[in-house]
Amino acid sequence: MNKKRYRQLRLFTAFFVGLIVSVAMTQDSYLLAVAGVITGMVFIRLVRSKAKPRTDERELVIQEKAARMTYAIFAPTIGIAAFLMMMPTFGSFSVLRNGEWLFIESLGMVFAYLTLFVMVLYAISYHFFNRKYGGGGDEE
Amino acid sequence: MLSPITFLTENMGVAVMKNNLKVFRAQHDLTQEQLAEKIGVSRQTVNAIESNKYLPTLGLAFKISHLFNVSVEDIFIYGGEKE
Repeated sequence: MNKKRYRQLRLFTAFFVGLIVSVAMTQDSYLLAVAGVITGMVFIRLVRSKAKPRTDERELVIQEKAARMTYAIFAPTIGIAAFLMMMPTFGSFSVLRNGEWLFIESLGMVFAYLTLFVMVLYAISYHFFNRKYGGGGDEE
Repeated sequence: MLSPITFLTENMGVAVMKNNLKVFRAQHDLTQEQLAEKIGVSRQTVNAIESNKYLPTLGLAFKISHLFNVSVEDIFIYGGEKE
């Protein structure tokens, strides 16, 4: 099986799983949704082991850069959004009068914790990889 | 003429790298796909190296030089630093 065929199968499986999940949601059958997702994952895993798609160093570099850029955009965005949402002046906005702004403030609180979580996760993974690749030790 | 690839060095200067991979590949009558298969990367990676859009790791550079039976410096040319 070549890479193109593997990609086609992966796309088809994702579409099929999406269909099952949407049908399951309309029927309120969460078990079916979970079963669909798990079956899809197992199927992809089996196909992947057959296809052995080649992941080379360039792809890894691209993934690293994409992850770094995602972090650099995501963390400040939700951080600033959290700050703006929790500003008390939101209460004076006409559309947010009568207490609706409280929900915005709660969302801001969630965003603030999410920002902290992302930053802590980054710090932990940085520390881990720093140790893994020889950093941290001062011995000569 | 392909423009050489540049990268930031330790003191944040810009170093220039060029390579002769295309020449060696042509000498050995290999397609990008065949070379990629031999060194265990994708064809896109070979293309990116040849067009100076991607700098290979030291390991891959050695793999390529071993394949062509030449030294790394014969294929990858360090063009020095520029401001």
